Amino acid sequence: MSVEDSGTAEQEAAGSPATDEAGEPKLRVENITKQFGRIVAVDDVTLDIQESEIFALVGDNGAGKSTLMNVLSGVHAPTKGTIYKDGREVQFSNPSDARDNGIETVYQDLALMDDLDIATNIFMGQFPRRGFGPLSFIDWETTYERSRQIMMDQLGRDVDIKTEVEFLSGGQRQLVAIGRALAFDPDVIILDEPTSALSVDATRLVQDTLDRLAEEGITIVIVSHNIESVLAHADRIGVLYQGSLVDIKQPGETDLEELNELMTTGTLDAGLLDDD
Amino acid sequence: MSTEQGFIGRTFGDRDDVILTLLDNMIWPILAVVILGVLVFVPQTLRNVQAIRLVLWAAVPIGLLVLAESLCLLSGHFDLSIGSIAGFSAMFTGMILGTCPSCWGVTTSPWAGFGIILVTGALIGLVNGIMIAKVGLNPFLQTLAFLIIFEGGKTAMQTQPVTGLPRLYVDVGGTPEFAIAVLLFAFLVFGLLMRFTTFGQAVYALGSSEKSAREVGIDTERLIIVVYTISGLLAAIAGLMLTGFVGVVPPLIGEGLVFQAFAGAVIGGISLFGGRGKITGALGGVVLIQLVQSALNNSPAVGATQIQMVNGFVLLAAILLYSTQAKLRARILASGAV
Repeated sequence: MSVEDSGTAEQEAAGSPATDEAGEPKLRVENITKQFGRIVAVDDVTLDIQESEIFALVGDNGAGKSTLMNVLSGVHAPTKGTIYKDGREVQFSNPSDARDNGIETVYQDLALMDDLDIATNIFMGQFPRRGFGPLSFIDWETTYERSRQIMMDQLGRDVDIKTEVEFLSGGQRQLVAIGRALAFDPDVIILDEPTSALSVDATRLVQDTLDRLAEEGITIVIVSHNIESVLAHADRIGVLYQGSLVDIKQPGETDLEELNELMTTGTLDAGLLDDD
Repeated sequence: MSTEQGFIGRTFGDRDDVILTLLDNMIWPILAVVILGVLVFVPQTLRNVQAIRLVLWAAVPIGLLVLAESLCLLSGHFDLSIGSIAGFSAMFTGMILGTCPSCWGVTTSPWAGFGIILVTGALIGLVNGIMIAKVGLNPFLQTLAFLIIFEGGKTAMQTQPVTGLPRLYVDVGGTPEFAIAVLLFAFLVFGLLMRFTTFGQAVYALGSSEKSAREVGIDTERLIIVVYTISGLLAAIAGLMLTGFVGVVPPLIGEGLVFQAFAGAVIGGISLFGGRGKITGALGGVVLIQLVQSALNNSPAVGATQIQMVNGFVLLAAILLYSTQAKLRARILASGAV
């Protein structure tokens, strides 16, 4: 089946955010292919993701979800295809390009420095400065204040901003990593396996945070193995199989079993996919 | 215990908080105990202002090496070659400037000497950095090789004291007040640099997690090269100060100092694994190490031939202290983990 058709048909049938008639999608990938030598990791994927949407990309190991995520975050340049952000064609040759276009990525390892405090982690590489040119220095007062604001206003958490990250639990560390992404003022945040290896409480904490950010207008793209979590919180779920986007589902119209089957076989028995 | 919901921060009990704060600043009570011990057992070490000035003056070269080692350790690396760099740079420059019979006597300009010694040290550090960051050599093996190469190179150049150095060149390290001011200024500059510049914070980030530092956009390869270059530069200044302290370039200049530099940095609270430690703590470590040295020199109970052995015990004590600190810290962290 045509991937593009599949997505569009699903969206129309479900009245999903992707059918938003107001304008351009927040993010559109069009016929994206990524090859590593002779291996096709992502194969001709077309996909629209709307503003304020929580879009989940699921798939088995080697399905291409991490590669697609890396294409969106500027780590890999696509072999073929085009990325559109707010209707405008964009090209990312490195993560800075994606960042400059309002796309931030929270990697699975979170890229946190355990020995450093929360504020330093949030602003590492982009500290507010005071002074001019080579005589400018880190403005710690502003760094602490803005970090506190991000954690409090956008993530709703009261924070001792000078706490070293090594003291934090898994869920809290995830929030700090999201806080760092927010410090760049993005309108799209991509998260790689945000709830893997988290306790039930911590998973809920992270999910609630993502819901909150989506309500504030930020588009969330989640790459995940955790189908149950995705079913509970995503607006739409894109299923990748062997590099292709085989279907896009809404949580209300699918279940764990069906998604597992799509992930492992790339199709559904009894012609379910053909219902579109 | 910290909780998943609500407040994010350190939520240990007051007792654990006090212990953690003490662990992070353990140099100061230790220094106080050592000062007390010296005053009781070897009081002549600190008997008057002149004696204290001598201790601080003698601390200048080792202090600069502690600073160099601290910078490397904070970045998650280390440099075994700093003593050799200090010795080689001083000997090489001494051979160029000196008027002794076997010296090369290329120039007698002290300013040329300053330039040559600094460039020599920085260049050796630069090569260390390139070999580690770009070629991918293990820092231990790379700097061990340079320790041997440059110690050997120094001996190959000269086995006698190099004399006849320009007055100004020797005076820089030979004037106690100026030398001490240089040391304090270096610590002040690096203290501010580490706290208030993106370079300093990037060094902490690199030491805490090289992978994370790279992922947040820090050019870690370049940073490693810069760190080793600065380390070499500081080692060269230490060589200059040593030359001034002695008045000539002795053939054994710089040898064995790297271990004292390690001990000073570690006792000063600089983590052996990077990312943690304060420059002010390292300064405390410098004073402690030199105080022990001076006390040993003044002590009738310890002969000159036994001092190096005692230095080994001081290093062992520093590492044991560090290990105990790390274990206590880990235990408190585990008790507070969710």
